[in-house]
Amino acid sequence: MEWLTPDILTEPVGLSHFLAVGAFLFVTGAVCMATKRNTLGILMGIELVLNGANINFVAFASPYFREDNLGLDGHLMALFVIVLAAAEAAVALAIALNYYNNYATIDVDKANELKG
Amino acid sequence: MFLLAEATSNAAVINWHTVFFFVVAALSCGFALAMLFSSNIVRMAFFLVISLASASGVIFLTGSHFVGAMQLMIYVGGTVVLLIFGVMLTAQEAFITMKTKAGDWVLALIVGGSLFALLTQAAFSVEAWHSTDYQQDLVKEVEKFNKDVIASMQSDGRAELDVEDRKLTKEERVTLSDLQKRIRHGYPELTGQIGLALVGVRTDQPSVEATGYTGYLLPFEIVSVHLLVVLIGAAYLARAKKRSAE
Amino acid sequence: MGVPDQILPILLGLAVLAPLASFVIILLFGPNLGKQGVGGAYVATGAIVCSAILSFLAGFIWLSSHMPPATVHHHDEHHEASDHAESKQHGPELHGSLEQDSHFALAKFSEEVEGDESGEHQDEEHGEAAQHDADADDAENFIPPVYTGHWYSLGRFMVGTPYEADVSINYYIDSLTIIMFCMVTFIASCIHFYASGYMHDELHEFTDPEVIMKDGSNLVRPGRYHRFFQYLSLFCFSMLGLVLAGNIAMTFVFWELVGICSYFLIGFYVERHSASTAANKAFIVNRIGDFGMLIGLMALWASLGTFNFGDIDRNNDGTPEEGLFSLMRPEASNHKLQAPDGMVALGAKDRIEELVLKAEDGTTREELEDDVAEMIPVWREGELEEDSTKYGYTLLVIAGLGIFCGCVGKSAQFPLHTWLPDAMEGPTPVSALVHSATMVAAGVFLVARFYPVFAPEVLFVIACTGCITLFIGATIAIVATDIKRVLAYSTVSQLGYMMLALGLGGWTAGVMHLVTHAFFKSLLFMCSGSVIHAVHTNEMTEMGGLRKKMPFTAYTMLVGCIAIAGVGIPSALGLPFGLSGYYSKDSILEQAYSYMIVNPIMGSVFFYAALGGAVITAFYMFRMWFLTFAGEPRDQKRYDHAHESPKVMYVPLVILAVMAAGVAWPFFGELGTEGDTYGFGLYNFIEQGRPLGLWLENDMASNHMFSDWLELSWPHESKSHAANIKGPVGLMAIGTAILGISLAAAMYLWRFLNPEDARKAFAPIYNFLVNKWKFDEAYNAVFVKPTHVVAWCIATFDKQWIDRFLESLVFGTRRISGFLSTYIDKLCVDGLINGVASRCYSIGHGLQKIQTGSLRQYVMFIVVGTITVFVLLSFWSYAIAQ
Repeated sequence: MEWLTPDILTEPVGLSHFLAVGAFLFVTGAVCMATKRNTLGILMGIELVLNGANINFVAFASPYFREDNLGLDGHLMALFVIVLAAAEAAVALAIALNYYNNYATIDVDKANELKG
Repeated sequence: MFLLAEATSNAAVINWHTVFFFVVAALSCGFALAMLFSSNIVRMAFFLVISLASASGVIFLTGSHFVGAMQLMIYVGGTVVLLIFGVMLTAQEAFITMKTKAGDWVLALIVGGSLFALLTQAAFSVEAWHSTDYQQDLVKEVEKFNKDVIASMQSDGRAELDVEDRKLTKEERVTLSDLQKRIRHGYPELTGQIGLALVGVRTDQPSVEATGYTGYLLPFEIVSVHLLVVLIGAAYLARAKKRSAE
Repeated sequence: MGVPDQILPILLGLAVLAPLASFVIILLFGPNLGKQGVGGAYVATGAIVCSAILSFLAGFIWLSSHMPPATVHHHDEHHEASDHAESKQHGPELHGSLEQDSHFALAKFSEEVEGDESGEHQDEEHGEAAQHDADADDAENFIPPVYTGHWYSLGRFMVGTPYEADVSINYYIDSLTIIMFCMVTFIASCIHFYASGYMHDELHEFTDPEVIMKDGSNLVRPGRYHRFFQYLSLFCFSMLGLVLAGNIAMTFVFWELVGICSYFLIGFYVERHSASTAANKAFIVNRIGDFGMLIGLMALWASLGTFNFGDIDRNNDGTPEEGLFSLMRPEASNHKLQAPDGMVALGAKDRIEELVLKAEDGTTREELEDDVAEMIPVWREGELEEDSTKYGYTLLVIAGLGIFCGCVGKSAQFPLHTWLPDAMEGPTPVSALVHSATMVAAGVFLVARFYPVFAPEVLFVIACTGCITLFIGATIAIVATDIKRVLAYSTVSQLGYMMLALGLGGWTAGVMHLVTHAFFKSLLFMCSGSVIHAVHTNEMTEMGGLRKKMPFTAYTMLVGCIAIAGVGIPSALGLPFGLSGYYSKDSILEQAYSYMIVNPIMGSVFFYAALGGAVITAFYMFRMWFLTFAGEPRDQKRYDHAHESPKVMYVPLVILAVMAAGVAWPFFGELGTEGDTYGFGLYNFIEQGRPLGLWLENDMASNHMFSDWLELSWPHESKSHAANIKGPVGLMAIGTAILGISLAAAMYLWRFLNPEDARKAFAPIYNFLVNKWKFDEAYNAVFVKPTHVVAWCIATFDKQWIDRFLESLVFGTRRISGFLSTYIDKLCVDGLINGVASRCYSIGHGLQKIQTGSLRQYVMFIVVGTITVFVLLSFWSYAIAQ
């Protein structure tokens, strides 16, 4: 049974594992934002970024890992982030649709009117 | 906690918490990567759904059940569906797959990799990044307390009494209540507390009495109004307009 | 009738304001009032008629309060009223006092019979005099009724000092005010009616026949009907305000308003060069007089510290502020003219300084002031042993002369009379108004108003001026052929008469002549206007025989001529009766005669000048009438064109003719009874306003003037009504009138004497007169030419030196500023600013490249930035840790 139970599966996970997952999602989202030409792709990247951050909040609020955790504040913060993400998604989607309406494209590289 | 206690109490036993963590983390990160490297917008949306759902599993594993549920319901059930609507509305042949230049990819990956390195380094530099000992210490204390109580009961003859009649001494009661308090502190039963906090009552920190620090009523209200504004604004922005140019 | 001291100011104030309201209305809405502004005439006429009604109402109220029969009860009532109102108003027993006057005069000159009635009045007068001053002369007890009051204070300066100036709107109402109001508003009403007909040419586009444009055509301009009436209203407002004014500041303001209105009206046909020149001349000549007047007013104010004429109780606390007249003629010295304390103190400035220097140490200010106050009567009378100068008296004379200067200008007295004939350039209604009721009357009125202020020296100057003026005016009028100029010079002459009368002490005679003259002169002018309107020329040589064409005009004018000539039945024949001029002119001549009795040398000059003037007056007036209306037409074309004026013009003529005939008639009392001079009429009414103190023996007694070389004394005016004066003077007056008229008739009606022969015989004199005594030439040579020369010199200096200096300064400044502009402004300041700006621009331009507009790139920037911050922070914390 020893081979079935390597250390990695028997040892409990700590805070940093969760932070690492959050960081990974965050970076993936950021890179997604930086590489996708599709407006909606960028939106998806944003969602990922927010999710990664949210995992951080939740992890810091978790009672399993530290005695001095964030507790209720972390949970509530995570909730607000979710709500704001939803709101952001709605507005961003509306903007994207508007952009599509006006320019008949959703390629953000075409949306460079603010170019100096 | 009992799951954790159970798992930790037996060192050689597979820690299912850890296992599930790695599973959901792998799913989440993997599908996030898949989304990143997919160039088809429809697929991207699908991968995102899975990634976020898995992320909600990660959240469940931290013990934040309510937040995890919200993650599932709002993100996966709401936001991403919204995104998929957007995808469908704009899904024309030309836009479904939009390739990005290789140079952009390289640049983005370098920058993203360095950021990831930075963040990971920061994450693992947190004090006691590996699981702390306090849970195990607590369990050990409880066990020690149990043993002490049993020993004292046997020594002073309480053990002969009926179960109903066995009483703890004063010192033992104090120690027990202290232990219970410490255990309860880490107990993930927070849904009711979250609800109360949203209407302005903090049950977890009754000692904090400073004004403006206790509850989340005001942010809650602000967020409510904000959502309303977003609703109207989004409806306004996305409404059908006649194209004046064409 | 209510309490006069409350009603009269309101009535007269409204009478003043009505023309002002009309002026404002026409000013604002003039062109919109009816077609071509014809409504302006209605507004202005309505306003002045309104004023006339109010004035006559005020006159009736006045007469009902201040008329015989006098009773003790009546008198008491008045005392109560005056106590209540605290105005300087006492029970005026006009009839009684007049009886006193005549009685007084009779006692002095002849032992004539007194009527029983007058005796009774005398007793009553004694009864009330007991309250006043039992031992005083009867004549002193008459105090003219005066209402003074305060309406509104515009500003008070230097309160609490002796030089306190209270610029306020006051009123001073005595019988002179009432008479002037009635006279001015009545005549002005007639003139308004007349003008609304006369000026009808202005209702449409007006072609001015006397203005020829460069292309030879006549000037055509829009009509100015409403504007004419606007000016007329302002003119009436100014004159009425002047009459009502209760302080010298207000007087001066209205005085100048009268001047500016006459300027507007004389220059009404502003496009005619002659009219604008005449307006300028009138205004500038008046300025000369006003300058003197300003000096006089300042002398009065600086020494007395008050502007008010009468005593005004502003606070109603029973302690009225003393006005000009009561300071000049204090009650304590029986209203004898004396230099007021302020004048004495001002005159004796050196003496006061001496006193202060001599004072011992420790003398307080109050003690010093007491010492000065003690010395003031001594200084005033010049009773010091080492110094017999009458301090302050010089200032008094200067003040009087200054004020008279203003009157000389306004009333066209020698030497400032030259503007009046030129003022004929205005429309004829204006001439009528200026020559009768307003402008020139203002000067005489002012002399009458300020009469208590005039020292004997001033009176002598006034008499001399009047005498010269009347002679000059009369002589020039003989040879004038322009019908309006004849009348203008006649006005000058008659104004001279008035001044002469006032200067000789005949206050009542002068004022009365002012009133009667206003009526017949306005009549004459309006008649002449009617003639001019009919024949379109001013030259009498082109008229003749017009009486058949325009009978109303002719016979009303005849009435005016008879009135001005002073035709009447002399009192020596038992029944003195005549037209208005007869009464006034006779009383002037009587006063002159009375003066001649006292002062044989100067008096005879004055008297014979007046008498000669009367002959000439009768002559030129009838010459004018004969030339215009009698005989055969000399210009058939004009004669054919002539027609009687419209009704709106000749009805006022008829009304004025009636007034000119009858304004001076004594309506009450017995006519011609010995001892009763005129019964009750205009004369008595005026007499009621006679300033205090003029009846006193000591006031008008002999005065040594001009270093003793001339000794004069002023007889009471009442003496001139004695039978021994009245008889011969009456005969002489009617003789002069008949002489003048028959001479005129002989030359111009019956043609016994050929005017041409006379002209040739007296050619040098004739030319001298035709050139108006060469006054204009003399002024031109004496004042205008030298001024031109001086001006030329100054202009040359200005051009040669000042301008060059300035130009060099300008040149230098331009060079310096050019240098500054080039090197400092453009190089340094602009360079700095421009450098900063271009630097900012280039930096912005550089940064612009970063602004790609690419969303993805921004995300990259954010990520890179975050990383950088992290790295830097970690380095930093590492460094700190080290």
